[in-house]
Amino acid sequence: MKNFIGSRAIPDLVYHCPENMEQLMDLLGHIQGHFKIVAGCTDFIPAVRGGRWAFDDGLELIDIKKIPELKYVTLDGDRIRIGGATPLSMIIGAPAIKERAPGLAHGLTTMASPQVRNVGTIGGNICMSSPAADAVPSLLVLDAQVIINGNQGEEKSPLDRFFLGPGRNIMAPDQVLTEINFPAPAANESQHFQKVGTRDAVVISIVSAASWLKVDNGKCQGVRIAMGSVAPTPVRLPGAEALLVGNSLTLDAIDACAKHASQEITPITDLRGSADYRRDLAYTLTKRTLTACMNDLM
Amino acid sequence: MESRETRLIAGKGQYADDLDFPGMAHLVFVGSPYGHAKIVSLSVEKALAVPGVLAVLTGEDMVAHTNPLPVQANFKSPGWTWRLADVYAMPRDKVRWYGEPVAAVVAEDEITARRAAELVEVAYKVLEVTGNALEALEPESPKLYDDWEDNKQVHLKFDFGDPEGAFAEADQVMHITNREGRVTGLPIEARGCVAQYDTKMDSLEMWGSFQTPYLSRHNIAATLGMPEVKVRINAVDIGGAFGLKIHAWKENVVALASKLTARPVKWFEPLKDFIVTGPHQRDVFWEGDVAFNNDGTLLGVKATVTHDLGVESTNKGIAALSIFPACSAVPNMYHWKGMHIEGIGAVTNKSFYCAYRGYGKDKGIKFIEHALNRIARKLGMTPEAIRLKNYIQPHEFPYHQINSYVYDSGDYPGTLNKALEMADVDHYRAEKEKCLEEGRYIGIGVVSAIEPAGVAVPNCQMGGITQARVQITADGTIEIHSDRTEIGQGSEVSHAIIVSDILGCKREDILVKRVTSDYIGQGPLSSRGAVYPASAVAKAAKMLKKKVVTCAATFLKAPEESIVMEDGMIFSIDHPEEKLTYGQLSEKALFFPGPRGLPVEMLKNHDHLLDVTTTWYSPTTPESGSSYTSFCTSADIAVVEVDIETGATKIIKYVHVHDAGTIINKQIVDGQIHGGIVQGIGEALSERLDYDTDGRLLTTSFSTYLIPTAVEAPDIEVAHLETPSPFTETGSKGMGEAPIIGSKAVILAAIEDALSPYDIVVNDSPASPERVRKWVVEALKRQEEAQ
Amino acid sequence: MKMQVQLNVNDTTHQLEIDANATLLEVLRNLTRHQSVHRSCEEGECGACTVLMDGQPVNSCLILAASVQGNRIMTVEGLMKGDTLHPLMKAFTDELGLQCGFCTPGMVMSAYALVNQWEEEVLSDMDIRKAIEGNLCRCTGYVNIVKSIRRAKAAKDAGNWW
Ligand SMILES: Cc1cc2nc3c(=O)[nH]c(=O)nc-3n(C[C@H](O)[C@H](O)[C@H](O)COP(=O)(O)OP(=O)(O)OC[C@H]3O[C@@H](n4cnc5c(N)ncnc54)[C@H](O)[C@@H]3O)c2cc1C
Ligand code: FES
Ligand code: FES
Repeated sequence: MKNFIGSRAIPDLVYHCPENMEQLMDLLGHIQGHFKIVAGCTDFIPAVRGGRWAFDDGLELIDIKKIPELKYVTLDGDRIRIGGATPLSMIIGAPAIKERAPGLAHGLTTMASPQVRNVGTIGGNICMSSPAADAVPSLLVLDAQVIINGNQGEEKSPLDRFFLGPGRNIMAPDQVLTEINFPAPAANESQHFQKVGTRDAVVISIVSAASWLKVDNGKCQGVRIAMGSVAPTPVRLPGAEALLVGNSLTLDAIDACAKHASQEITPITDLRGSADYRRDLAYTLTKRTLTACMNDLM
Repeated sequence: MESRETRLIAGKGQYADDLDFPGMAHLVFVGSPYGHAKIVSLSVEKALAVPGVLAVLTGEDMVAHTNPLPVQANFKSPGWTWRLADVYAMPRDKVRWYGEPVAAVVAEDEITARRAAELVEVAYKVLEVTGNALEALEPESPKLYDDWEDNKQVHLKFDFGDPEGAFAEADQVMHITNREGRVTGLPIEARGCVAQYDTKMDSLEMWGSFQTPYLSRHNIAATLGMPEVKVRINAVDIGGAFGLKIHAWKENVVALASKLTARPVKWFEPLKDFIVTGPHQRDVFWEGDVAFNNDGTLLGVKATVTHDLGVESTNKGIAALSIFPACSAVPNMYHWKGMHIEGIGAVTNKSFYCAYRGYGKDKGIKFIEHALNRIARKLGMTPEAIRLKNYIQPHEFPYHQINSYVYDSGDYPGTLNKALEMADVDHYRAEKEKCLEEGRYIGIGVVSAIEPAGVAVPNCQMGGITQARVQITADGTIEIHSDRTEIGQGSEVSHAIIVSDILGCKREDILVKRVTSDYIGQGPLSSRGAVYPASAVAKAAKMLKKKVVTCAATFLKAPEESIVMEDGMIFSIDHPEEKLTYGQLSEKALFFPGPRGLPVEMLKNHDHLLDVTTTWYSPTTPESGSSYTSFCTSADIAVVEVDIETGATKIIKYVHVHDAGTIINKQIVDGQIHGGIVQGIGEALSERLDYDTDGRLLTTSFSTYLIPTAVEAPDIEVAHLETPSPFTETGSKGMGEAPIIGSKAVILAAIEDALSPYDIVVNDSPASPERVRKWVVEALKRQEEAQ
Repeated sequence: MKMQVQLNVNDTTHQLEIDANATLLEVLRNLTRHQSVHRSCEEGECGACTVLMDGQPVNSCLILAASVQGNRIMTVEGLMKGDTLHPLMKAFTDELGLQCGFCTPGMVMSAYALVNQWEEEVLSDMDIRKAIEGNLCRCTGYVNIVKSIRRAKAAKDAGNWW
């Protein structure tokens, strides 16, 4: 067992700061030894200080935050595209998000603090692949797709199939998440996110939940539900979704769906909350986010 | 002179981490990853081999070069248990809590020290941990200290008044249990210091976040085996303390490191270290009975409070000492017939206990206020009605409470009535009913609390010692020395206001000196700042004023009665055109003409210098034995809304009415109130030190140990009553703790009121969302089963 | 690895040799001597180390100094005009928005970013509180800090601002 040390040293670094994608790809092609990609460093530095990540022989650090090709929020036809190294605050403030995906904007403002959101990136939140990553449930219900780039070429993957376990995902170390995109919600679609922590602000979620609804004539034409901190990865809940889709939207129907959601997850008991409480919250947050969507649309 | 606030806001604070000495080395502690283990072997070779590492100190060095930590409180008395363990600043053979330092690496720079700290190799044999106080007291529990019979460190028994009589005449008795989680005061700045050992003079000087430099000098000198006269301790700007920086402990290791390396050595404590190896508080379990009559008259209490003290405190005995006020606070501000209170403290494998705002008073009051609210509900009374019925009345002061405290003054009903009026309780009660129909849960909490302040107890380092000096220098600027360190509680401003009011000098001509160990005193603790040090400063200023008057009368050739001091000018009312500045007066008294120009009487009495050093002692303590001098009071009313589905609590309204006697500076008092209330809210809702079953602390950072941010903190409405204390020099009462005492109790009371449709007893804190939800789920089950 | 960097702090450019693993916090405190930037948790949780980077508040403990090239850093020292307090700082001293003063420089920088960008819109107390949620204060209970920020906004509206 490692010694207890209140704050650990950051390892010796060789620091690389590519200024464009070409330089990045070149670096990834040639780099030797232990290396790591970082963007905002808001996960990297605490992980090192706290001893969760150790690099005894030093580290080659590839900082991608200065690459302009990775920092954007655009509305491209009917898709919203966000660069992999876009800081959270830039996404929250982007007109395309404010107008077309306010639920995502709201979700991101519940993350961390203004200081962290100013540098922490969406790509960092996804790539850390924490079960508690708060940006992810919203993106999952928006049916997001990630674009991954590396010297092997570009790959696309539904976000849904990106996560493999706590801290694990489908990317190789020399790949970069370059973009996350999703269809901009239409007028008959709505999306909401809510989280519960032991405190309101600057807190890691005990449970976070997002819902997306598409309604036509009072009928549920489409529904997606996703959750964080209830399984080894952020998850979609297809079972609960199936209960609602195609049916009339009523409070009772939502209630039944939320009950199912609370049974569909596989929560654990940890420092932040017990499995029972998580199931309980899963029910409540599913109900609340779905109801909020419904109220927007009906 | 620039005010402290201006200096600090301009970024010119000088906190421990800002200290920088030529040739300074840096020290980093290496802690145990286990909660309880034998140290089988410890090797520093690899760490020492790192270039830049100067030394690695271990428990062996402590045994070789230092004494065990000194005793700071000792209450051995027949019928009581009071045990103390011999501990060194770092252990040699056994670690007893997670994070306990086993080595300290000293290096040219901090990053090297941190790296080398990873390389200190320790082999442990893991031992079973004792996880909580109730377990620790079981006969088969593993023992922390081999030479003790068991893990019980303290058992105190108090009989106040006539407990048996009280229970004999009572109509009813209610059984009450109450639990509080373990917390830490956690200032934003942890501890830190620089030690400079002078090898030529064999002397030691330290600068750092010392809340009580005078006591620290004594304790560090004793630990290092140095004559106290060779040690000097200086407080620098302190980034919050709340009691947690009273003790000096790791500082001993820093001092020894400086001695052994002959270098100034700096230690910056990362926040995580402070949570893991810093003072903890609360973590108590109350169980007892309260006796009362059907009309709401309170009669008696029989209760036991069990404390989870963690390991033997590095302020040896001071942890256990806080069990006294916990027991003695139970009578609060009410009439009683009698009580029997027992206080037990058990040692466990957790970080040690020490002072934190409240220091036990909070525990007794939280227990009794909770009990009162439950009794009121049972009797169909409002929480205010039961209090108003039992309060000590304004005409009864000074009031000898059954616990031997002498309450100085107050208007308890007036304080509560004012709070009721401000909070518009009737409106919120109506609102509560309305909301219930919509499935929303609003609750109103009402609590009142007393704050015993200015501690003076025998057989410990908290005996009531203080010293102040006020000097008018030759240029007329005025310096004030006292033992009251500035920890953000406004002691500098308060002292300056007191002295400028008495001397009629300009505030900007006064400098309140940073506190050093040169002046005797136990520092600002137990809200004694406005009692002891402020009284001593006021007394010194009054004595100085007499001298100023005599000198001025002499130089102005005017009768003493005619001398006026105002706005930095001294003159005779008879000749207001002829004015002296303080500078002119002082220069005359010291140099031109100097002492020979002063009255013969002054010279004969050796009373000619414009410089007074004096002390102050409570007028009530000598005869009555009252451990405290002043008793500030408060009434808190909180309105909360509980989301019963998530368990989250939102504070809608918060009112606090305060009576701290004469107010020296309202802004400062209000600031203390706001801060204390929000700390109490943290305790009530989200702060919790959580150990796992292996004795490892899980909540080790600001993201897991959740103190309130600005978002959870409510707006706070404050009003004051000012019932002067007859027992202090200024009429002020010590304050600063009542807000934390009242707030944690009132938030829990409000939650209990909100959940009253479910008949839920809120007797465990923090009332975190998960816990509240659990209570609701259990209540729903109970209701279902009943149907 | 040693690196040469140019660091722009309060409109002064510093040519520095730094270690690649040094945080902006460490460089500001130890090399450019901006000791107003305080250090506590070193993990982005307390906000005591808050500075402005290109006008936006950031935790300097979470930023590698090596990455701060071409950015403008601002600390409370940069808010002063000579010995004169910035109106925002004056508002903090007038309302006693500080006690121990440890969180204060970081708090002031977050408050400055807020008030600077705050134009016509009406902000609730909660809006103000959210803007400083990343700056923990253990002394003040935040009440006087919120008041200080409102007072600063009034000063700005009265044209007393820089
Ligand atoms: C005080 C505090 C509060 C926080 N609160 C929250 C919260 O409420 N909710 C929450 O979800 N998170 C929270 N976080 C975590 C963190 O801020 C976010 O996860 C953030 O989005 C991480 O982004 P980053 O750019 O800083 O990541 P970095 O630290 O730069 O990187 C994190 C990891 O992702 C990899 N990576 C980053 N970008 C890419 C990319 N484009 N391609 C490939 N790999 C990449 C890196 O290799 C690294 O392993 C908090 C952190 C702090 C310090
Ligand atoms: S030191 Fe940077 S946020 Fe705490
Ligand atoms: S003033 Fe002390 S932490 Fe804010």
